[in-house]
Amino acid sequence: MSHRFRKGLVRLSVPLSAALLPAGAAVAQTDSAVPGSAVLTGLAELWGYATSGFLWNGALIAIEITALAMVLGLAFGLGLALMRLSGIAALRGASAFYIWVMRGTPLLLQLVFIYDALPLIGVRFDSFTTAVIGFALNEAAFCAEIIRGGILSVNKNQSVAASSLGMGHFLSLRRIVLPQAMRAILPGVGNDVINMLKMTSLASVIFVSELTYRSQQIVGQNFKFFTVFGATALIYLIITTLIAVMQERLERRFNYELPKDSDGGAFSRMLGFSHRAQSPAVPSAPTEVRAPASEADGREEMRDWLRTLVDADPLPADQPFVTCSNVQKAYGERTVLAGIDLTVKPGEVVAILGPSGSGKSTLLRTVNHLEAIDWGEILVGGGLVGYRRLPGGGLAPERNLAQARAKARIAMVFQHFNLFNHMTALENVMEAPVRVLGESRHEAEATGRRLLAAVGLGDHADHLPHRLSGGQQQRVAIARALAMKPKLMLFDEPTSALDPELVGEVLLVMRKLAETGMTMMVVTHEIRFAREVADRVIFMDEGRVIEDGPPSQVIDNPRNERTRRFLRLVENAPTETTSS
Amino acid sequence: MKRVHIPAAAAVLATLSALCLTSVAEAAPACEPAKLAEKYPGLAGRTIKIGVDPQTPPYVMRPANDFAKLIGVDADVARAVFDCAGVKYEFVAGAWSGLLPAVRAGQLDVLWDNLYYNPERGKILDFVIYMEAGTGAMTQAGNPKKIISKDAMCGAVAAVTLGGFEESIVKEADATCKAAGKPGVEMMSFQDVAAGIRLIDNKRADIMMWDAGLIDTLVAENPGKYDRAFMTLSGIQIGPAVRKDDQDLLKAIFDGMTVLQAKKEQAAIFKKYNVDPSSQVTAVIKNEK
Repeated sequence: MSHRFRKGLVRLSVPLSAALLPAGAAVAQTDSAVPGSAVLTGLAELWGYATSGFLWNGALIAIEITALAMVLGLAFGLGLALMRLSGIAALRGASAFYIWVMRGTPLLLQLVFIYDALPLIGVRFDSFTTAVIGFALNEAAFCAEIIRGGILSVNKNQSVAASSLGMGHFLSLRRIVLPQAMRAILPGVGNDVINMLKMTSLASVIFVSELTYRSQQIVGQNFKFFTVFGATALIYLIITTLIAVMQERLERRFNYELPKDSDGGAFSRMLGFSHRAQSPAVPSAPTEVRAPASEADGREEMRDWLRTLVDADPLPADQPFVTCSNVQKAYGERTVLAGIDLTVKPGEVVAILGPSGSGKSTLLRTVNHLEAIDWGEILVGGGLVGYRRLPGGGLAPERNLAQARAKARIAMVFQHFNLFNHMTALENVMEAPVRVLGESRHEAEATGRRLLAAVGLGDHADHLPHRLSGGQQQRVAIARALAMKPKLMLFDEPTSALDPELVGEVLLVMRKLAETGMTMMVVTHEIRFAREVADRVIFMDEGRVIEDGPPSQVIDNPRNERTRRFLRLVENAPTETTSS
Repeated sequence: MKRVHIPAAAAVLATLSALCLTSVAEAAPACEPAKLAEKYPGLAGRTIKIGVDPQTPPYVMRPANDFAKLIGVDADVARAVFDCAGVKYEFVAGAWSGLLPAVRAGQLDVLWDNLYYNPERGKILDFVIYMEAGTGAMTQAGNPKKIISKDAMCGAVAAVTLGGFEESIVKEADATCKAAGKPGVEMMSFQDVAAGIRLIDNKRADIMMWDAGLIDTLVAENPGKYDRAFMTLSGIQIGPAVRKDDQDLLKAIFDGMTVLQAKKEQAAIFKKYNVDPSSQVTAVIKNEK
């Protein structure tokens, strides 16, 4: 026995010991060696184990189980996370229950259960399959929470904006929410991958002979705990280092705030190598779709383009385009809309004024069905948006709201722009036309570049939102809305979040848009804009329309005391000092 | 050496009496691999999965020169027994705690790795007993404290794993020493053999107690470093175990073992791995209802 033990070790340790030890030095006789040489011998033995095919085959099994279980666990975990975020209580409950059980019980027990208890009901898996299934089911519970955290970390306004552009739940999740959530998801998942790789040793209880168990078997025979497990630790470290590098690369890929032209992250620099930056998601424009030579040309062209849009399917000018009849809405006990009656004619620009909490933003959101109404009805272009009429005359919401919004051709611009943070200006503009309207990328890019030029941002097409000023972002948002070829534009306080000096550029674009004959409903505090651009001004307070008439009447000669008080307050506000 | 012959003689006697008592047509167990389907219809076409935890030297372990192989007393005996029956088999390695549940669930067919018999296990599985457990006490070379028996431990530090036969030996010795007005036996506990060996290496303990087979292996492999202080048979029976519905497998193991013992092959395997031959017992089936 003794002879065989040592012979094996010597054979294993030849490559390094040959390099480390002087010729003729005894490798196996640790007892008689001087202390320094004992260390060398130990290292040589460790190296021998670290290069052992027996251990590396065990490592390979651990990697295979981890890779397969992680992929399955992530997919299942995503499903569980969506269930937990669902509006359906049964799904939320089922998911929460699963996570509670799987996270709360030992993985060892779960593995033994699958391997040894399921055969009692005729379900029999082999060791490897059991390990993959067991680890995947367990990991899914943890991934679900990591993914849920990631999704919650993405501002809700992102999906509201996607929704207003006619993007459905899953499209919005795949294209808008998850790519941004990845930044929050990746570190947690990286942790779990490394954890799982090491935890596969638990599977020795169901006869998976992976790295740690193989080391235990060697130690069980020669009791050289430190050399064998030292070698095992080295193998684990090599694999986990590769995992960490992969994680770092993925994080860079999903970190849209990182300049794309820099090379290598901190980790890569630490390791002394770099990798090429990702190429931009959208290739630069083919020569024939370049932005027009000057912005003035672009605006002319845009105006023509918008006119064709407005004129394509004209409604009689005397017929209302938007009709709100007795629209009511409450959040719990609080009434927000207390019976709104309102019509907007084709091509009309209606400014909606009112103190905060008066319900004006909510009204705007009910027009494109971002908010449901409790009572009454809203017709746009003669049709309901996202409702179908029940036989008794009542309304029921349609299942596919996003599609209904796209069909109604209503676009919206938000107070906080809500640009998709991970996409360039051009990609923001192209996203919905390509994904919702089914335009070709080529066509959408051509339109997108023209629209960006028209709002004065031809040179910023490839910039990410965080590199643009507020005013520029809002102009991109307007271009994005226009790309949906809308017949009605809703503006929800489009300048309220802007620095005073940036308000003008946005109002200028809106003014041009009004001139093309676009039908617009604008919730605003910009009295001057309302006076100069709007055809009609509506003043709302406490969920009701208090005044409705031309600007000359509502702004300059308000009849209602509340309107007068509000106007006095607003006209003294600092934003009024700037103008378009 | 005397003890070796007693079981061997007993086996011969048993075989002879079996010959006399049963019908003439039924011959003494013999290796007839070609007659597998005839003798053990329940094994025909099967590959027997032998559950082992290869960190239990000298019973099942990986040889240092080829970690892909399995050797040891139990591994060698199992091979000989199944070759004798003519059935195909494979070893399945896994952590000890997973072995018994896997045999019960039918994921494995036999647990064959220094498994102790006890009435609780006997209710779940059927055993073929073929050896008795011995506890060895290992000390530093030259046995400096002269601990030559379990009665000579007074004032010594004894390392044991908790909850087993060894712990009871030490507690008993401690009480005996104190009753006789001598210093007691100080007990240290360890988790695995390697940790126990380290206690002897750095002289934190005077003896460490473990399975006699392993102690003898360690002593033989490290001359001038360790010595066996004493050995004591615990009376605990050891043997492979199968499911109660797998009677053909049980019979095949028993028959093979009987042949092996008659041919003194079991003793030869014990010798090869430095296991005290006195721990061999005549093969017997334990299959209580």
